Amino acid sequence: MAQLPNLDNAPINISALRERAQKDLGAILDSMRGKKVLVLDPQLSGPLALIAQTSLLKEHAVENLFYVSADPVQSECKNVVYLVRPQMALMRQIAAHIQQDNQRQLQKNYAVFFMPRRTIVCEKVLEEEGVLANITIGEYPLYFIPFDEDVLSLELDNSLKECKVDGDTSSLWYLARAITKLQEMYGVIPHIQGKGKAAAQVSDILSRMQREQPRPPPASARLPEIDSLILIDRQVDIVTPMCSQLTYEGLIDEFLQINNGAVELDPIIMGAQQGTTKKVKVPLNSSDKLYRELRDLNFGVVGQVLRQKATSMKQDYSDVTNTQNQSLSDVKEFVKKLNALPEMTRHTNIAQHLSTFTTKPSFLSRLSVEQTLVEGQSYDVSYECVEEVIQRQEPLISVLRLLILLSITNNGLPKKHFDYFRREVLHSYGFEHLFTLNNLEKSGLLTKQEMKNNWQLIKKGLKLVPEESSDVNPTDISYVFSGYAPLSIRLVQCALQNDWRQSELLRLLPGPTFERFDKNQVGPAGDSSRLVALVIFIGGVTFAEISALRFLSAQEGMKYDFIVATTKLINGQNLLKTFIDDPSAVH
Amino acid sequence: MAISIAAEWNELYNRFYRKQEIYTMCWKNVDLSRHKVACARFGGPIAIIRDESKMVQLRAESARAKLLIFSSSGKLLSSVAWDRPGGRLISMGWTDEESLLCVMHDGTVFQYNYRGELSTSQLSLGQECWDQGVADCVIWGTGLVVLTEKNQLFSIPDLENPQAIKLADPHLEEPPHCFAVIEPQYTLSGSLEVLIAVGSTVLMVDADSVQDQTVSIGPLQKMTLSPNGNFLACFSHDGRLLVVTTDFSKTLSEFTTESALPPEQLVWCGVDSVLLYWEEMLLMVGPYGDFVKYPYDEPVVLIPECDGVRVLSNMYMEFLQRVPDSTVSIFKIGSTSPAAMLYDALDHFDKRSAKADENIRLIHDSLADAVEDCIDAAGQEYDIAQQRTLLRAAAYGRAFCRKFHRDRFQDMCRTLRVLNAVRQFEIGIPLSIQQFKELTAPVLIARLVNSHRHLLALRISEYLDLSKEVVLLHWSCEKIKAASDVPDPALLDVLVEKLKLCPGISYATVAADAHQNGRQKLAALLLDYEPRASEQVPLLTSMGEEERALVKAIESGDTDLVYFSIFHNWRQQTVTEFFRIIQGKPLARDLFISYARQNEPEVLKKFYMSIGQPQGAAEVLLRESWGYSQNLEQRSGSALQGPRLKLIEQASELYAHTKEHTFESKATEEQAKLLKLQQELEIATGQPIFVDSSVSDTIRTCISLGNHRTAQRIRVEFKVPDKRFYWLKVFALATAKQWDALEKFSKEKKPPIGFKPFVEACIEEGATEEALKYVIKLSDPHERAEAYARMGMVKEAAEAASQAKDSELLGRLKSTFGQNTAAGALFDTLRDRLSLTGGG
Repeated sequence: MAQLPNLDNAPINISALRERAQKDLGAILDSMRGKKVLVLDPQLSGPLALIAQTSLLKEHAVENLFYVSADPVQSECKNVVYLVRPQMALMRQIAAHIQQDNQRQLQKNYAVFFMPRRTIVCEKVLEEEGVLANITIGEYPLYFIPFDEDVLSLELDNSLKECKVDGDTSSLWYLARAITKLQEMYGVIPHIQGKGKAAAQVSDILSRMQREQPRPPPASARLPEIDSLILIDRQVDIVTPMCSQLTYEGLIDEFLQINNGAVELDPIIMGAQQGTTKKVKVPLNSSDKLYRELRDLNFGVVGQVLRQKATSMKQDYSDVTNTQNQSLSDVKEFVKKLNALPEMTRHTNIAQHLSTFTTKPSFLSRLSVEQTLVEGQSYDVSYECVEEVIQRQEPLISVLRLLILLSITNNGLPKKHFDYFRREVLHSYGFEHLFTLNNLEKSGLLTKQEMKNNWQLIKKGLKLVPEESSDVNPTDISYVFSGYAPLSIRLVQCALQNDWRQSELLRLLPGPTFERFDKNQVGPAGDSSRLVALVIFIGGVTFAEISALRFLSAQEGMKYDFIVATTKLINGQNLLKTFIDDPSAVH
Repeated sequence: MAISIAAEWNELYNRFYRKQEIYTMCWKNVDLSRHKVACARFGGPIAIIRDESKMVQLRAESARAKLLIFSSSGKLLSSVAWDRPGGRLISMGWTDEESLLCVMHDGTVFQYNYRGELSTSQLSLGQECWDQGVADCVIWGTGLVVLTEKNQLFSIPDLENPQAIKLADPHLEEPPHCFAVIEPQYTLSGSLEVLIAVGSTVLMVDADSVQDQTVSIGPLQKMTLSPNGNFLACFSHDGRLLVVTTDFSKTLSEFTTESALPPEQLVWCGVDSVLLYWEEMLLMVGPYGDFVKYPYDEPVVLIPECDGVRVLSNMYMEFLQRVPDSTVSIFKIGSTSPAAMLYDALDHFDKRSAKADENIRLIHDSLADAVEDCIDAAGQEYDIAQQRTLLRAAAYGRAFCRKFHRDRFQDMCRTLRVLNAVRQFEIGIPLSIQQFKELTAPVLIARLVNSHRHLLALRISEYLDLSKEVVLLHWSCEKIKAASDVPDPALLDVLVEKLKLCPGISYATVAADAHQNGRQKLAALLLDYEPRASEQVPLLTSMGEEERALVKAIESGDTDLVYFSIFHNWRQQTVTEFFRIIQGKPLARDLFISYARQNEPEVLKKFYMSIGQPQGAAEVLLRESWGYSQNLEQRSGSALQGPRLKLIEQASELYAHTKEHTFESKATEEQAKLLKLQQELEIATGQPIFVDSSVSDTIRTCISLGNHRTAQRIRVEFKVPDKRFYWLKVFALATAKQWDALEKFSKEKKPPIGFKPFVEACIEEGATEEALKYVIKLSDPHERAEAYARMGMVKEAAEAASQAKDSELLGRLKSTFGQNTAAGALFDTLRDRLSLTGGG
């Protein structure tokens, strides 16, 4: 089992969050006496691996671990603890397990714990299946999961789709609850800024929760540890996740998929012997010192940095071997450096593997298409590019990424083209995607042009494509997309510059812009100390955006440390996947 | 003064006892000897009722008995006519919740509160007990045991959960001499045990068994368990008082009285001494046979407390207790303890005598202990002047004492204020400090509240920094009950004014109470003050205001609450009404749709039609149609797609209802058309490979099967754009390796997509030779360079790149072919040449 991410360097004490989650997990396991089996929602195993080591399960008398599936639990153990997200499909499977046990006349104790909370809908399903009476129901109130010293996520996969397509705003309530829980631990955040409809909704629910809880718990009586909260609705900036991320971490995610802070790789890539087929799980977080250094760089620079490091190691090595009268401390110093060798090998392997993708002409031409679309100046060229990728039936999601870029940067497509592209998609990928297209339209990702296009104004006003951009020695966040500065992060910059509500530019973007001060709170203690800003992306955040924030925080004159929180760590691929509604594939 | 205090103490072996008068009873003409009396512990109320088993002379009183309830100071709290059925009243007793239990001869148990109000929940010991008739009864804080006239035992061991049980049959011919109860909390088994004295022995009876303890100290005529449940005091027929352990294994002390008659009352005073009461005589016996006699010329009732015994007579309420150690150390005659010196020092100080300083110096080392003792002793006093003197002594000493914990002093002052407040005879709760600690402040507050002392309870809560919620909620509920004639708005104002004293108080609780009292309007008004939607919504729902509940749930943003409300509305309303309710509420509507889509498609279809959104219904139909495609495996070549087609066509029609959905309508029309065509193809080819593939895929499949006519037909029927058709055909032919056909196709006309796709298709199939045919046709040298590069033809690539004057491309080519140094050099030369030309 992988090590838990090291949280010691976090700007606020995030370890406390994880410790509480560990304690709660122990408590729910202990709530059922005796030996037990744990049946886990398969989607939870990743997030839980970030909370606790598997040894914790043993310590709390868990004999065996299973995953919720259609098959019955193969265990004679009398005590069964389920830990699941509140989803109807999971309830039906649990109900099926219990009914099977009943038919076999097995008397067992069942407890179902919902993460983060029980819901009426789930209980209704269990009731209709006739098993509710057999079950002890509980909650595992784990909201934010610490992914790294500056990254928290709720890991709610469908947040954006549910909010914008289904109108189901449950995730916003969860987010507000999560923030409330943070405030219980770190004090009430005195200053809130936000942009977008969902941001305003979260802020409303949040203030309502504060009103409902007039007696603040003792922790919030002290000075707040988080000075500012910035809420950004993903819908305000769909462009960024549609573009290919070009940071080291972003590219790993685009090509190899980072899940719950780790990537699974073929053993061959990691230089293993032929014959082993079991995938190697590589944790990717700041506990890996070299990764901490590399993750936020533009990939173009990563090779160089690795080469320099290798050269300097080689130099050290030759110094040690060639010189006779080395002092012991010099040798010790050298050996210490050797400890970095596994990390070097690991990242050289990964970087090399990535470059097999990045040098492909198809990738390069894709980047240039993206660039053209973001520039938004030559509609016809863009139109043809998108038409071509549809007609040659490139994978649907990568096609949709471009189509959405085209739509957003033109404030929607002209009616004729809108219908044309939709028809081409249905013809090329099947009529089952009618629902997918509806979803995209409902959520505003792919729309008909109805108003004047203001992308150029936004682009210029926010300097989304700055004239000068260097990937090697960046002076601006645009390096994360080699020339495009993520809109969302520009918004964060605006928020920090105190011209939030006045800015005309912000009005061009969808949704309300708001700001709110907590009157009861005193201002930050001193000017010299660093401040902490919690930036929350509602609907998901990409690794490239996180890198951009880290870059900002390291700039001279920036007094904020950032903590990024989100409903889900995303890239264009997995974000759009939630919008794909293929009725022929369900059940 | 100090001398007089200790002079009133009685010494019993090595310890002192004192009996203080707490109240002069303010009742009039109460003669305890004529009444059954039940006194609650912890200074609780006293209930009396005329004892019908005694011959009494009625004076100026009604012939009908009355149940009277007094405070410990004799203040009448309530008086009700006693008219309960069930035969004779056998026994009365107070529970920990301060409700009065009256056990009747037929086994019925009536419960009264302080105010003489009969509780609606009536307990009964069951039919068998009813048949036998109750002979005797023991009531303790949480339960009761009765002995029937047939010598059977029945019990309600836990009043919280009032289940009557029958204990094991002890098979007695005669009624036992006496019996005692060991409460469940003191037994090893954790369940109730009853000791009954029979013959010369004692039987231990529980629910399942009867055990003879085989003792021969009996016959025992009276037994009482000590307050800690460890010892039993027994009075034997020959006038001996024995103290034994409850398992009878050890006799701890034995005392011979001069009376063969058993005492009327036998109670423990703390755990060190036992009180025996005969008419006109109270005898206290200590552990080593020492005793004290207190003569009484009037009847008394002994009320055991945790730290002593209250003695109630017609005139007085007294408290008999062992003198606390701190008090002894200060007031014992001739005491030179540091605390006594400190107390003395204060006296000198008040007299402006220098001896005060001398005293302080003498005890300097143990000053902190002395201060502590004075504070503690202050807490033990009922007399306020005495409390004050002791506290002043403590304060005086503390001034010379560096490291004394100052909170201790403040805590004591605060506790004493509370105690003095409740001891006032108007309130009449004579708690000692130990009793207060055992009872705890919240319970005291709850008791005050129950006796309608809301203001005092509120003040005490405030003073001790406890939540005022309990007091205010109780007050509000009582207020609502009492103010049935006050109009809603006025009552609301009165309530809200008080409730707002406590932020976060549950308005919903008060509203629920108003609702129960039939004040619907008031309940609704109160609910508007409740900030917690999670409290509002369920209550509104139970009040039948489902729609308003839904509105509140939506306002909260808590989707779970919204679902709660949706389901309730769904169940309670007619379908039409339900649809109307959710239609106007976007969040509720959307959540309903999400749920129904998965679980109730038929209801959803109806909903869409009822709100005039046929496109929604169309979507439901389409989803249903896709359900058929799941049985793909069972499909044998040419399954008919009839039902599926029908659904799709219906959906298409529904889409056509609204202008905005023309696209969807046409798309579904095409979908149906495609499905029909695919079905024909499957029948014609006998291959189940067409259904459920896209238009493009169908064309590709046809071409790769060589069925160009059908491909052409689809192209026409589905108006496939030229460009797309070219892409499809080029790749289909290449995949099928039909190179001649591909070449022929390339020559049909100038391809609308250029020759690049031809090159790509060939390269992808690994046919370099074929690819080269088309590379030369590429007009753009840049594209040519890329194509050559992909095929590994370095030299040609480099040439084309230099033709394209693209140094970036050259650089990239170099990095791709960098390992080959010869090629690398080639690129460098070319690039140099380029930059020269570019520069020149």
